[in-house]
Amino acid sequence: MQDYRHSRWITAALLAPAGVFFVFLLILPLVVVLVYSFGARAPAGGYEAAFTFDNYLNLPARGKAFFNTLTLAPLGTLLTAIAAFPVAYILALKTDPKWRVTLLVLIMAPFWTSQLLRYYAWIMLLGSKGIPSWLAYIGIADLRIINTPTAVLIGAVYGFLPLMVPPIYVSLEKLDKRLLEASADLGATPLRTFFQVTLPLALPGVATGSMLVFILLMGDYILPQYLGGGKVFFIGNALVDLFLQSRNWPYGAAVSVALVLIMFLTISLYMRFILSRTDKRRAALV
Amino acid sequence: MRVYLVLVYVFLYAPIALIVGGSFNAGKQAMIWQGFSLEWYGKAFSNPLITEALGTSLYIALATAAISSVLGLMAALGLERVKGWLRTFFDALIYIAIMVPGIVIGISTLIAFVSIFELVNPALTATFNIRLQMGSWAVIAAHVLFNIAVVALLVRARLQGMDRSLVEASEDLYATPFGTFRQIVLPLLAPAVLAGFLLAFTFSFEDFIIAYFVAGPDVTLPIYVFSSIRRGVTPEINAVGTVVLVTSLLLLVIAQLILQRGNQARVRADG
Amino acid sequence: MTKVTGHISAEEFLAQLRRYQKGSISRRQFLGVTGLGLATAVLSSAVPGFRPRKAHAALSGTVNFTTWPSYFAQENLDNFTKETGVKINVAVFGSNEEMLAKLQAGSTGWDVFVPTNYAISTYKELGLIEELDLKRLPNYDASTQEQRFTAEGVIDGKTYAVPKDWGTTGFVYNNKNITQNPTSWKEFFDLTQGPWTGRVMVHDYQLTTIGNALKYHGFSFNSNDEKELAEAEKLLIACKPHLFGINSDYKPSLISGDAWASVCWTGDATQLQRDMPEMKYVLAKEGGEIWSDFYAIPKGGQNVDAAYALIDYLLTPEINAKEVQAHGYPSTDSRTNKLVPKEMLENPILYPAAELLSPLEFGAAATLTNPLRAEIMARFKAA
Repeated sequence: MQDYRHSRWITAALLAPAGVFFVFLLILPLVVVLVYSFGARAPAGGYEAAFTFDNYLNLPARGKAFFNTLTLAPLGTLLTAIAAFPVAYILALKTDPKWRVTLLVLIMAPFWTSQLLRYYAWIMLLGSKGIPSWLAYIGIADLRIINTPTAVLIGAVYGFLPLMVPPIYVSLEKLDKRLLEASADLGATPLRTFFQVTLPLALPGVATGSMLVFILLMGDYILPQYLGGGKVFFIGNALVDLFLQSRNWPYGAAVSVALVLIMFLTISLYMRFILSRTDKRRAALV
Repeated sequence: MRVYLVLVYVFLYAPIALIVGGSFNAGKQAMIWQGFSLEWYGKAFSNPLITEALGTSLYIALATAAISSVLGLMAALGLERVKGWLRTFFDALIYIAIMVPGIVIGISTLIAFVSIFELVNPALTATFNIRLQMGSWAVIAAHVLFNIAVVALLVRARLQGMDRSLVEASEDLYATPFGTFRQIVLPLLAPAVLAGFLLAFTFSFEDFIIAYFVAGPDVTLPIYVFSSIRRGVTPEINAVGTVVLVTSLLLLVIAQLILQRGNQARVRADG
Repeated sequence: MTKVTGHISAEEFLAQLRRYQKGSISRRQFLGVTGLGLATAVLSSAVPGFRPRKAHAALSGTVNFTTWPSYFAQENLDNFTKETGVKINVAVFGSNEEMLAKLQAGSTGWDVFVPTNYAISTYKELGLIEELDLKRLPNYDASTQEQRFTAEGVIDGKTYAVPKDWGTTGFVYNNKNITQNPTSWKEFFDLTQGPWTGRVMVHDYQLTTIGNALKYHGFSFNSNDEKELAEAEKLLIACKPHLFGINSDYKPSLISGDAWASVCWTGDATQLQRDMPEMKYVLAKEGGEIWSDFYAIPKGGQNVDAAYALIDYLLTPEINAKEVQAHGYPSTDSRTNKLVPKEMLENPILYPAAELLSPLEFGAAATLTNPLRAEIMARFKAA
């Protein structure tokens, strides 16, 4: 018995397959990208061995893409969280338990229809024959939404709400209702109860959901491409262009490295912030 | 509050209504209504390119979900048994796998594989007359990466909430290690693994960007949809989208019914 | 083709026929063994309608056909599938650069694709396309082609691509919304920054977008001069906030009314005008681009037989005439032109006046591959 529990062979056998996957399909390719990022573009495009920092020095040429991504991705995440929280709250605390799961599934279900088709549908809804033409009836004329940052933000909330609601719902569902009652008994206003009891306890769920949505938004290509029309340019669009249009692999590699570094930096700062705010054990689950 | 909830559902379902509505459109253009018709369903499912793309996507998603559930479960169990640098190292790998955006995974997989192919293909072609190339297998490999990490995190969360005394009791009763695992640990972890399986399946089935870079000549459903949108959408694509949505809703309802029955049975047994 | 095996007894013939009917031997084997292959071959050369079907006898699988948006008659592709059993998987791209990037990265699985005149030499140099065996394209006849459009398909006497059609790059505008009667790139880009703000589209393609911005300044469409390119970039970046979008697939936005004007290729203008007579096509007086597109077969294609069959089918004058009527680009083949309705041959969008054609330039290989141009386009998009 003791043998099996401490057998190194079993431990190794359990960890090895995932380890091999990570090392050969994650670390190795990332190292290749890092190596490429110091290379040069071959005359007809692609990669040519070299050692230069030019690709990194040239990063400011994509400054606007980094800026757009770094403003719209957090803003989109925030808006999604703000839109999702009341949904999760109503479902977890104010809904008949019989209907809860069904309603939650209905929130998530859109995720199973092609994302591309859903965004394509939004192109029609936001185009001048869609919502703007209805708004024209009530006097708001010549409203242009499609191919603007607003359209991208609407798309972000739309696309990621189904991913944001469940984790918040789970953390609110676990919330002990007696705490809320106690708070009310002690004379706290509902608003105060919300801010001092409900919200802090729901934070792990908000943090999980936000992180997931943020990661997906930071690397998004389809959303800015479809609803930004080539005008709202994300790093994802810059990368697709560099690899699948201008064939500048080394520069694309440098942009990838920069994106990954930004992800690490923002997420570790974010985790530190969340950890300082919440019960450490719970955050460890995040 | 109710009003807000209703608005959210309208917001979520308006585009879907447009897609589903379009699938019943008799006309050729998705945007102009020309009467009710079911012909696009027939066309879509007799179009071999659509059925093949659907098949490829299902195959990739199932393989991804199966491989990542097993490997993720194993990794989480293994991690319980180690401490020190190995644990830190693995934790780091899991977080990197989750943090690196899909588009970078796609790009790095593409350039790493293409570089390796350039090295080995001349020799392979000369000796065995085969050439390595990108394809569904590369998509599965790249998808598994992210999803192993997801499954491992879910299982670990479940393990931390697990009652160790059950395992100890089982061992005290001289169950074999494998017996303990099969009868105690696995049932307790099953919900987490199942959730991981479903998430992995969904992420893989919906992924466009990774497949766009590494699928080579293979066409997944999202790649097919992307190409049709560029070409000008016909209601065929809407019909496929609708069928996928309805199928997944049905599966969810069935899964829920099974889970509920399971719960009731357990409640009865406890009582 | 099939080997002719000499005489064959009546019994043997019937036995083979039964095997063929049961499906245990293929039609091809049957024809070969029985000697009917020879008869078919003789017959087919005499009866033109017989030809395609025989050639298709051994075809199967899928052919991956990579082309541009709205650039084929679906009816023709469907008929090809009906006749041969070969499925056609159509993928569409936005630019020659994008096609080149995909082919360079490898494993595309494409069987037939449609490069533009200036791209062919680059594909050849990089070893990405096959030399064509013209014997397998019996419906292609170099002598009926207009030489200025076919020249770039032939390199060192070897044919790498056969011409599909030709066209021009101008701009289209909706005269219900736009009253200025623009006739030049100068007006196009100036009005974009003024009354047309938010309603104009340019291609997601450096060659045409930068080329036309160069024409604004009176430079060559193909200029690779750093100073001239810098001026073009300045113009484009100044226009960027005023654009509706940057997309090579601009028709949907023009149809929905979101966009009022766009840089535009011949056929898209023809197609737009069919349903919307208010769409006007302009060849700018400064000039711009004239081009021809080709069919080519990339290296490493999986279904080469089907690729040849598809190209040959689409180049058949009767079929090609249907193509022309669907996509609205003029054919390079005089045999096809005889079968195209008269009103198309008189349409000034397809056949512009000589004084508008003469300042147009063919794109050059260096224009496509210049890394500075690629980077300027990327900076413009990211701006």
